[in-house]
Amino acid sequence: MTFSLLHATDFADRLLYKIIPPLKAGMIVLADRYAYTAFARDVTRGVDREWVRDLYSFAVQPDLALYFRVPIDVSLDRLMARRVKLKFYEAGMDLGWSTNPLESFRLFQGKVLGEYDRLVSEFGLEVVDARGSITDQQRHVRQLVGRFLAGSQTETVHDAIV
Amino acid sequence: MTPSSDAENPGANEEIQAGRYYGRGVPYLPINEYPGKLIAIEGTDGVGRTTQIQLLREWLEVKGYGVIETGWTRSLLMQPTIELAKSSNTLNKLTFVLLYATDFADRLEKEIIPALKAGFVVLSDRYIFTALARAGVRGIDRQWLRSLYGFAIAPHLVFYLKVDVETLIGRVLEARGMDFWESGMDLKLGDDIYDSFRAYQNRLLREYASMADEFHFRTLDARRPVDRIQDELRRQVAGFLEP
Repeated sequence: MTFSLLHATDFADRLLYKIIPPLKAGMIVLADRYAYTAFARDVTRGVDREWVRDLYSFAVQPDLALYFRVPIDVSLDRLMARRVKLKFYEAGMDLGWSTNPLESFRLFQGKVLGEYDRLVSEFGLEVVDARGSITDQQRHVRQLVGRFLAGSQTETVHDAIV
Repeated sequence: MTPSSDAENPGANEEIQAGRYYGRGVPYLPINEYPGKLIAIEGTDGVGRTTQIQLLREWLEVKGYGVIETGWTRSLLMQPTIELAKSSNTLNKLTFVLLYATDFADRLEKEIIPALKAGFVVLSDRYIFTALARAGVRGIDRQWLRSLYGFAIAPHLVFYLKVDVETLIGRVLEARGMDFWESGMDLKLGDDIYDSFRAYQNRLLREYASMADEFHFRTLDARRPVDRIQDELRRQVAGFLEP
């Protein structure tokens, strides 16, 4: 609960200082993780699903939300290739499901992925297959973003000309 | 980011049950049938809460009850952060509300629930009503606030020490003077701290009054002498604990 509220407090601060002002100025804001992270992570930690959605109802609904989906084994391989130890919270060690970090990571992130799958339909997240190469993923992302921007307002272009 | 349903929010109906969660609660902490009792003492700044709680505690302990106290922004985790945020100019009202809620969640899990489980009497110096009043005055959505605090436990007794602004002004000036936050200077109600204090505290009192029925306050006239208020508190607490 405290974990969830601490993150929400941090998010509120960033929303008000880093996200809303540039949006008002007509800029594009790229958010690395958003409220969906909290929905997946906090619910896995035992927080009520509806409560946490209600908590974040002050958040701006993104115009486009991309979800990079990857199986646990792939994410584990990538993490292990780069560093020796998994982080305590990232492996969900605080939940006490397993004393083995690898095993705990598998259990915890497995549930997190389950929550994400629920979010995809609930909030209309665009799924990007993150197993592919960076180039392939980036191509897909640019396609999605390009299509979205082409279909949206042109107001910012006028601003730029002035 | 989804429209909220108010069906399970505190105050949305008359089904508040003492000792239970107001709303959706904390799913991983079932609290049914815990033997402890939660007693909240509410009221604005300078109303004499702390004095009353001290006296009540001594009396309860002499009678053989185990007592713990908990108070607003006293969590070990959050207190330094809240003080830091208050001393800078970066604090937005939404962030303020969430900082308070985080502090409360920490105390709920670490102090209040374990004490209730162990059969203690928990005396809470202020409770969520302080947060609801302060946020309400600052224009935060009331339904959202009630849903947010749906993880709070409904106290067995809520005493509201009620006072009028004139009395309050006298007491605060005698005791320590008016401070920035107690005067609601962030609301820019007036440049003058006295005018701001009066306007702000008036609004707070209205917020408390509006919650009295919703949350079953037992209202006590806080203008009376300390001993008289204490007698009344003890009478009502005894009536509840030892019917």
